Amino acid sequence: MPKDENKPSLRGVFLNGILNENPTFRLVLGTCPTIAVTTSAINGLGMGLAATFVLIGSNMVISALRKVIPDKVRIPCFVLVICTFVTIVQMLLHAFVPTLYASLGLFIPLIVVNCIILARAEAFASKNGVVASAVDGLGMGLGFTLAMVLMGCVRELFGNGTVFGLTVFGGAFEPMLLFVLAPGGFIVFGLLLGIINAISDKIAARKAAEGGTKA
Amino acid sequence: MRLSLSSGPHIRAKSDTRLTMLDVLIALLPTTAAGIYFFGTRAALLLAVSVASCVLFEALWCALGHRKSTVGDLSAAVTGLLLGLNLPSSAPWWLPVIGAAFAILVIKQLFGGLGANFLNPALAARAALLSSWPAHMTTFLLPQRTLFVNTAAVADAATAATPLTAKSSSYLDLFLGNIPGCIGEVCKAALILGLLYLLVRKVIGWQIPVVMVATVALLSWALGEDPLQAVLSGGLLLGAIFMATDYVTSPMLAVGECIYAFGCGVILVLIRKFGNYPEGCSYAILIMNIITPLIDKYCKRKVYGEVKKNA
Amino acid sequence: MKKYTFKGGIHPLHDRHEGKTPTADKPVRKFVSDTVCIPMDMHLGAPSKPCVKKGDHVLMGQLIGEPVGGLGVPVHASVSGTVLEVARRQNTGAGLSECVTIQNDFKDEWVELKGLGNVETAPADQIIPAIAAAGICGMGGACFPTAAKLRIPEGQSIDTILVNGAECETFLTADHRLMLETPMRVVDGLRAAMRATGVKRGVICIEENKMDAVATIKKAAGGREGVSVAVMKTKYPEGGEKQLIKAITGREVPSGGLPMHAHVVVLNAATCAAIADAVIDGKPLVERITTVTGCVREPANLSLRIGTIFMDAIGECGGYSEPAGKIFTGGSMCGICVPDDTVPVSKGNNGIVVLNEKEATPPETTACIRCGRCVRACPMGLNPYRLLNLCEAGDKAQAEKEHLLDCIFCGSCSYVCPARRWMTAAFKNAKDEIMAARRAKK
Repeated sequence: MPKDENKPSLRGVFLNGILNENPTFRLVLGTCPTIAVTTSAINGLGMGLAATFVLIGSNMVISALRKVIPDKVRIPCFVLVICTFVTIVQMLLHAFVPTLYASLGLFIPLIVVNCIILARAEAFASKNGVVASAVDGLGMGLGFTLAMVLMGCVRELFGNGTVFGLTVFGGAFEPMLLFVLAPGGFIVFGLLLGIINAISDKIAARKAAEGGTKA
Repeated sequence: MRLSLSSGPHIRAKSDTRLTMLDVLIALLPTTAAGIYFFGTRAALLLAVSVASCVLFEALWCALGHRKSTVGDLSAAVTGLLLGLNLPSSAPWWLPVIGAAFAILVIKQLFGGLGANFLNPALAARAALLSSWPAHMTTFLLPQRTLFVNTAAVADAATAATPLTAKSSSYLDLFLGNIPGCIGEVCKAALILGLLYLLVRKVIGWQIPVVMVATVALLSWALGEDPLQAVLSGGLLLGAIFMATDYVTSPMLAVGECIYAFGCGVILVLIRKFGNYPEGCSYAILIMNIITPLIDKYCKRKVYGEVKKNA
Repeated sequence: MKKYTFKGGIHPLHDRHEGKTPTADKPVRKFVSDTVCIPMDMHLGAPSKPCVKKGDHVLMGQLIGEPVGGLGVPVHASVSGTVLEVARRQNTGAGLSECVTIQNDFKDEWVELKGLGNVETAPADQIIPAIAAAGICGMGGACFPTAAKLRIPEGQSIDTILVNGAECETFLTADHRLMLETPMRVVDGLRAAMRATGVKRGVICIEENKMDAVATIKKAAGGREGVSVAVMKTKYPEGGEKQLIKAITGREVPSGGLPMHAHVVVLNAATCAAIADAVIDGKPLVERITTVTGCVREPANLSLRIGTIFMDAIGECGGYSEPAGKIFTGGSMCGICVPDDTVPVSKGNNGIVVLNEKEATPPETTACIRCGRCVRACPMGLNPYRLLNLCEAGDKAQAEKEHLLDCIFCGSCSYVCPARRWMTAAFKNAKDEIMAARRAKK
């Protein structure tokens, strides 16, 4: 595959993952862990960082091997690389943060099939250089982490009255359990998506208006 | 001479959305009155808070969106009253407020307002409250039949079992409502009075309530339960008469209505018999709400002249 | 007694619109105005060509418009007098049309009439030409040329003629009075049509809210070969052609087809009476019964000359009782609005209804609440709420797939809609657009 002629700047690649193409809120990828594990902010953070680590690692390795991997079997190859990193993460978490490991449970091994990681491997790492791929992995990973923490904060705040385990409301507050149950995950995800769409529409409209006055 | 021009029809039926909703409110009056009779001013307060907050949230939403207020169509009031009737009389005052916000803002308006909600707002709010504060939602008081229920009595009478879990009440008590339960579900006589009003006014057809109740009775009997007890306990009648018949979330044609009501009945009995919850009426109806578009898709009237050729 | 009916429909008369009471008991009164203004396009098909000019003296029944094309219909002078003007004028239809205005000399001098005599003995092959020469077209409102309807094409066969005396529309009592006062004309007209087409079965269909008319028609039809009377349930649109056929014969007109594809011809009661006049006396269609009602001082059934200006007819009924907000021809379900009261009465005008300003104010439309009343009311088994959503979304192709073109524009869906949505109007527009696109393709 020929190299991109107008290669985007590394800064652009990095910010792209966090804002314009935020994997959770803009691309709506990896919604399974987004809804399943964000019952608390710390869970969201842990999941996000674990995925970021895998993303950077797999992006770099796949980018480095992109000319060696035969096109026909690229997906199994990608999965194999991703599996390696997921296993590393799983073992590290198990060893050093057993509580987080326990609460994330099955979703750590399930990072293997996380759409974001496979999508970046397919869409970016297999077409770009190692450094750019690493930055893309970092940007996408941080974008995902931010989204997870945001979801986790909202759900933990209303569903448990705390953020990162710190009590926010007084003792009289009776948390609304719905938020930490699965339906609450869907509702919060939908509401955040709606709010972010509304904000980006406004920004786009303002930009269009400014462009119009300039022209 | 200025004449207006329009295509026909030049007359419209009397019944509009507002009148239909008003009929539902009137039909709910007997059970509301019975609820207040049995559970005192506390029940009245909860109902008032529920209706007021539903109407307020509706007005607020319209004002924020710079839309014409839809409070006048009374649909928010109906949602509010139904939500209030679905609460136990021991519920704290803020419970209906949060329920109203969920029903009106999340379930109704976010999905496109009146007519576009895919779930019955009052029932969805009840389900949300039940899963959020299970203790508040399942603490049923024995009917006090005094105007002012003192708080001490509330504490003492707490956690009376509903007749679904403790089968001790007589049929008469079950029928008249002298049992613990949600404000609006206890008095079956009042609910049936409301049903008769709705039928006479042709607001609803007989299919949904009759088929749903019959399904529950037959299935309970088949599973070795007392069918009369099964029909008279819990929220079945309130659900079958007022919740399952919600226009927006029930099928349009009689055949579809029968399928829908049958489904409601089956799921209700399955939840009662095998589920974790003692009562499954709201979940049964919510599940069938979701299936309604599918039922409507397959239960259509035959189009005139479509297939038959007069050869 | 078996009552015939169809599935769906509405009951505007049971509800609150008993618009028939003011005129149901009033005998038909003749009214002749100073001038008449006779449009050339009173029928479906190409407009007729005027064959008189300004200043000509015409006799009653004289040909003033020659038929044009296969569905053409001749037009006759409805009064004797002088032609004042041949010009384009506002008609009850959407636009202007050629009209012949005649100053009445009140002599009512007829041209020489040649009738065929008794309908039972008249030569069968001369009946349809007599109907064609008399300029008769469907008088229930659709205005399809009657002679063309009775000329059954090669390869088609019919076995039943239905006479539509259902008069299911609100306000109208013109056909009711016609059947009460001159039942023999209706029966004679039916017999003439039966003999002309060789059909052995003729059924006169009347709604059960007109049992007096059932009795008179039964008496008049006694002993006539093949003629029977059927009592229909009082329901709208019982008198819709397709609904009538389904109710009486159990057959359905295939989608996109004509009644003859169900081996049936449907004639309006007033059309039958006109056929009888044409066959027996050779009289052309120059006069019809029209119900003038609503916000007029003395609602009445008037026997009007074709071309009578609305204003004159309303004046004959004592004038407006309140400022008029809307005037339409026909009943309140399918009636067509007129822009002002200077338009002339045409062959298909069975009613002139005046609404006051309050009644004319369009209701406020709100959101659909999926109550399904429109689905249950549709006499064609369509899904009006869904079709309206499709029309509003501009998805005409899908609407067509879901049988939009089968809509008969009866207005039942809009009538029952609690959200007051304008379904019928949207369907009309969509159908017009689809038909226009089809014509453009050709």
